[in-house]
Amino acid sequence: MSSAVVVPAPGVPLAPRELSRTRAVKRFKWAILAPLIALFGGVLLPVLLLQLYFSFHQWTVYLGTWQEAEWIGLDLFKEILTEPRFGWSILRSLAFALGSTIGCFLLGFALAYLMHKPFRGQAFFYILFILPMLTVPIVVAYTAEMLLYESGPINDMISRLSGAEYKVAWLSDPDIALTTVMLLEIWNWTPFSFIIMLAGFASIPKEPIEAAHILGASSWRIFWEVQLPLLRPVILLALVLRFLEAMAEFPKTWALFQGGPGSATETIPVYIFLTTWQYFEVSKGAALSYVAMMLMIVIVLVAIRLLRREKRALDAMHVAARPGE
Amino acid sequence: MTKSQKNRIATIARYSILTVWALIVAFPLYWMVSTSFKPGEQWFAWPAVYIPDPWTLTNYLDVWTGRQELATSQYIISAQRPWIALGNSALIAFSATTLAVLYGGVIAYGVSRYRMLSEVRMFQLLMLRMIPPIVVVAPLSLYYSALGLLDTWIGLVLIYFLTSLPYAVWMLKSFIDEVPREVEQAAEILGAPRWRTLLEVVLPLVRSGLVATFLFILILTWSEYLLALLLAKTEVVTLPIELSKYQGSTEGRVYGRQAALSVGITIPLIIIGVIIRKHLARGFSFGMIRR
Repeated sequence: MSSAVVVPAPGVPLAPRELSRTRAVKRFKWAILAPLIALFGGVLLPVLLLQLYFSFHQWTVYLGTWQEAEWIGLDLFKEILTEPRFGWSILRSLAFALGSTIGCFLLGFALAYLMHKPFRGQAFFYILFILPMLTVPIVVAYTAEMLLYESGPINDMISRLSGAEYKVAWLSDPDIALTTVMLLEIWNWTPFSFIIMLAGFASIPKEPIEAAHILGASSWRIFWEVQLPLLRPVILLALVLRFLEAMAEFPKTWALFQGGPGSATETIPVYIFLTTWQYFEVSKGAALSYVAMMLMIVIVLVAIRLLRREKRALDAMHVAARPGE
Repeated sequence: MTKSQKNRIATIARYSILTVWALIVAFPLYWMVSTSFKPGEQWFAWPAVYIPDPWTLTNYLDVWTGRQELATSQYIISAQRPWIALGNSALIAFSATTLAVLYGGVIAYGVSRYRMLSEVRMFQLLMLRMIPPIVVVAPLSLYYSALGLLDTWIGLVLIYFLTSLPYAVWMLKSFIDEVPREVEQAAEILGAPRWRTLLEVVLPLVRSGLVATFLFILILTWSEYLLALLLAKTEVVTLPIELSKYQGSTEGRVYGRQAALSVGITIPLIIIGVIIRKHLARGFSFGMIRR
């Protein structure tokens, strides 16, 4: 496991050759990291500083150069933190991310469970099931529009199957719009949960399951008491990563709805986009971005904490699954 | 009920559920492909037309060759535009991906063998990917315009390189971790310099991992929308942006042509994805799952 090739035992004086070797490794390390540090300093840092600048200055594209913008302190933050619209967009994002994450997970998990043992046609179903994930999101959005407009094939099929004429306004009813995007997200990304869970099932060691079988446990009990606990790290990974991606979803929401109808699909990314590129309120957009970034950093830090803990379990599982390594 | 009967029912249930989901997955894709072969009046027909009648190549010819005589609308499609967008997409995706894989590979090697980045730093690197780009793209576009990188392919390559670096580092590290160290130690004892060990011993051993990582990141950069929209959309147009321009056309909906372009954008990704299907879980899980 450990890469102790170069790390000398503590307290033992280094031989001259060892010393030059440690130095060489250090040089090697900094040579490799230098470009990364340069990129952080040259791209990310200035960008974050600019964002800070705009958050505290009032500037829109209609005013002269941005260097002359007026200092307004915390006004913008006061504005956005007290306005209900931003609050709603946060709630909408959270609802969208939670709903689609759970949807993707339940479907992906069920499919993986059905497919984790070899059967005839497994490869065919696997390839078919990963296709949505390989479809460009913007293509998903436009194809969805062809399918979902009021006289489109989905309503046609619902009408035929039910016998009555249904014209569900998937794309123009404010009460349905967010659900529509959520369903699209689920269609698009169930493959993600599916492949992760399938890999999870494959990495469960066989012995505990066989032992439970021999002891006469039902498959139901084996599932709840052996497989599920062993799958916990993989399940958390699938949930956490999907949730983060769903919080950032933009192409489908934007291409289909631009935040509308009304503000039914105005998630955080859409609201930031509208403020900055449609209303041209760059400063407000920056302040919004700043608050959204803080929110995301908190979420990501929690996510990373979870992932770090589970990664140890995953690594252990990986080793256990292939004894003799 | 005997055991074999039970098994039979389980098998039937499994195939029925899988078939239902297969239809749900396949129908939108089928609709995209079939619409691309439909003549204009069948794009919006009610009741819907499920099988193109007659099948026609008009949409493909209109979109990809700019053929006008059969076009039902006044909307002029320039013959070169989709091809320029295709060229841009290919150039940008390939450059960014190549850079990310090369540099990511070097970092991954350093981390795997010399613990160059601690575990905490490695997870911090993930933030580059996990924080949604929308929260920094406004100041980034201003910064880019100050540097003259706005609407250039270098600008997009740079940002795609940065955002795919976490995937490259993590995924490649998981591959390099699997290569036994003994080979390198032997090379080192024989006096091979570190760079040569990396290039001539380690790289060949992780060749398939490099290819998988490359193709995986290619999928991500090829389909990116937000950054391509906000950092470059007039001079440098990538395929997803080109597709979205049909939406805003004055003619209203031109579904057949959208579909013809969509098919062109999607086919390369599906081919790539199917080739690396065994590695997709590893890619999307940042190498934390290795199967």
